[in-house]
Amino acid sequence: MATTAMPPTDEDTTGAPGSEEPATLPPDWDAILALHTALTALAGLVVTVLWGATGAGYYWPVWVWFGLGLPLALHATVRFACLAPAGRTRGLAIHAGVTGVIAVALVALWGLTSGPTFWPAWPILSLAAFLALHGIIHLYLNRVNSPERERRLVERVDELTRTRRGALDVQAAELRRIERDLHDGAQARLVALSMHLGRAEAKLDDRPEVAEMVRQAKGEASAAIAELRDLARGIAPPILADRGLEEAIAALGRRAAMPVVVDVELKRRQPPVVESAAYFIVAEGLTNAAKHAAGGGTTARVRVAEEIGRLVVEIADDGPGGADPEGTGLTGLRHRAEALDGTLSVESAPGTGTLVRAELPCVP
Amino acid sequence: MRAVIAEDHALLREGVVALLRENGVEVVAQAEDGPGLLRIVAGHKPDLAIVDVRLPPTFTDEGVRASIEARQRHPDLAILILSQYVEPVYTAELLAAGASGVGYLLKERVGDVRGFLEAIERVAAGGTALDPEVVAELMQSRDARAGDDALAGLTPREREVLTLMAEGRTNAAIARAMVVTPGAVEKHISNIFGKLDLPGSDDDHRRVLAVLAFLRAGQA
Repeated sequence: MATTAMPPTDEDTTGAPGSEEPATLPPDWDAILALHTALTALAGLVVTVLWGATGAGYYWPVWVWFGLGLPLALHATVRFACLAPAGRTRGLAIHAGVTGVIAVALVALWGLTSGPTFWPAWPILSLAAFLALHGIIHLYLNRVNSPERERRLVERVDELTRTRRGALDVQAAELRRIERDLHDGAQARLVALSMHLGRAEAKLDDRPEVAEMVRQAKGEASAAIAELRDLARGIAPPILADRGLEEAIAALGRRAAMPVVVDVELKRRQPPVVESAAYFIVAEGLTNAAKHAAGGGTTARVRVAEEIGRLVVEIADDGPGGADPEGTGLTGLRHRAEALDGTLSVESAPGTGTLVRAELPCVP
Repeated sequence: MRAVIAEDHALLREGVVALLRENGVEVVAQAEDGPGLLRIVAGHKPDLAIVDVRLPPTFTDEGVRASIEARQRHPDLAILILSQYVEPVYTAELLAAGASGVGYLLKERVGDVRGFLEAIERVAAGGTALDPEVVAELMQSRDARAGDDALAGLTPREREVLTLMAEGRTNAAIARAMVVTPGAVEKHISNIFGKLDLPGSDDDHRRVLAVLAFLRAGQA
C-alpha cells in the first residue's frame, strides 16, 4: 500500500487510511473516565466500610475522598474541555476547567479544615485574574485573523473550488456520454425502425390503406428522430466535441437568422465544461438578438478571446436594446458563467443595442 | 452499380445493405472504420461509397475525413455521407473537395426507399444529393447574409424550385415533386437564373452547381 502524507491530526485521531501502519482506534476516553470514576467510588466505599468496621468515629475517609476526588475532578474536567475544537479554544477551556476544579478544591479544603478566615479568597482571586487574562488574550487573537485560522479558511476555499469544478467536469462528461448513447442507441434504433417501415411500405403498393398506416408510423418515427436530434444538440452539440469552440461558434454564426461577424482567436482547446458554457452563452445571446431584432437590419458580432487566465465571450448587436438582465434566458447564462467562477454582464440601454459579456476563468 | 458501405453500427449497416441488395445495388464490401473504408475502396474500386460521419477510431468526423481522402486517391469515386445530424461545415468540406458525385443525407431519409434510391443513382452518376435540412440551412444563412436580399426577389414557387435544385434533383424529379409539368419547371429555372444573375446551362448538373455556388458565396 502506498504511503500517504499524514495530515496534521489532533490528539484523538490516529493513522489516516492508506498509511502503512495498521489503523488503531483512538483510546475510548469516556470509558477510561468511567473506569476512573468507578475505581474512585470503589476505593471510597472500601475505606468507608473500613471506617465503619473500626469504630465509625471521625469520618476520616473524607480525606480519602478528597485526595482521590481531586484527580478525578481534574480528569473529568480536562476530558470535557477536550470536546472543544483543537487549538486555542481548547487551551482556554482546559484552563477554565482546571481553575474551577482548584477553586472548588480550595473551598472544600477550607470547609474541611474549618479555618477562621476565608483564606482561599486570595488564591482564587489570582487564579480568576489569570483566567480572565487568558480569556481576553483569546478574544483578541480571534478578532485578528490568526495565521492558522486563515490558513484553514484558504485550504477550505481551495478544496471547495476544486470539488465544485470536479462536479462540473463530471457533469460535462456525463452530457457528452448521454449524447453518444442517444446517438448510438435510441436514435439509431429509430433510424432502423424508419428503414424497416420504408421497406415495408415499398412492398404495399397493392394495399394503399395499409401503406398509408405505415407512412403515418414512419412519420411518427421521423418526428421522434428530429426531437432527439434537437435534444442532443441542446445538451452536447456534436460539432463542439468534434471540432472545438472556434468552429462551433462559426457554425452558430452561419445558422443565425441575421448576419453575424465572428471573431474567435483561440490557441488551444479549453476544458469541455468551459467550451460548453461559452458555446451556449453565444447560442443564447444570438437567439436573443434575433428575437428582438427590429425586423431585419440588425447585425451581430461575436468575439471570443483568450486573456490571461480567462476566456472572454462577447455578443454585441445593434438592435433595439432594452434587454432585461433579469430575464430567464440571461439569468440562466449568468448561472452558467458563475458556476465556473466567472461573470456575465449585460449592457442594453434602449436604442443602443445590446452587449452580453462573459468572463470564464480558465487555467492559463 | 457496385457500392461499399462504412458504418460501425451493425443494425443500421445490415439494414442499408439489405435495402440496397433488394433493389439491385451490389454491395461488394463493408467497413467499420475510416482506415477500413480506404482499404475496401482501394481493393474493390466501387462506383459509390456510402459512409457514416461518425466512425471509429475518433468517433467525431472520421467519415468525412476518410471520404475526402478516398476521393483524393480515387477521383472517380462517388460519396454519399449518411449522418444522424446535419453539420453544414462537413457539407462545405465535401463540396470543396469536388462537387460531382457528392451527397450528404440524414440517415432517416433511408426510410423513403424510392427517394433514397434516386439519390444514390444521382450521386453515382456524378450528380449531387443534399438533404433538405442542409439546403434549408444554406438558404437561411444566405438570407441572413449582410446587405444581400437576392433571394427576396424570388416568388415562393421559385424558392421551392431553387431549394429542390440545391438538393440536386433533376428537372423531372422537381416536376414530380411539385406536381407541375417539366416545362413549367424549366420556366421557373430560367427566371431564377435571370434574377440571381447565374450563368445558364443546359446541363442539369452544371445548373445545380451554379445554385450551390450561389448559396455558399460569401460564406466564411
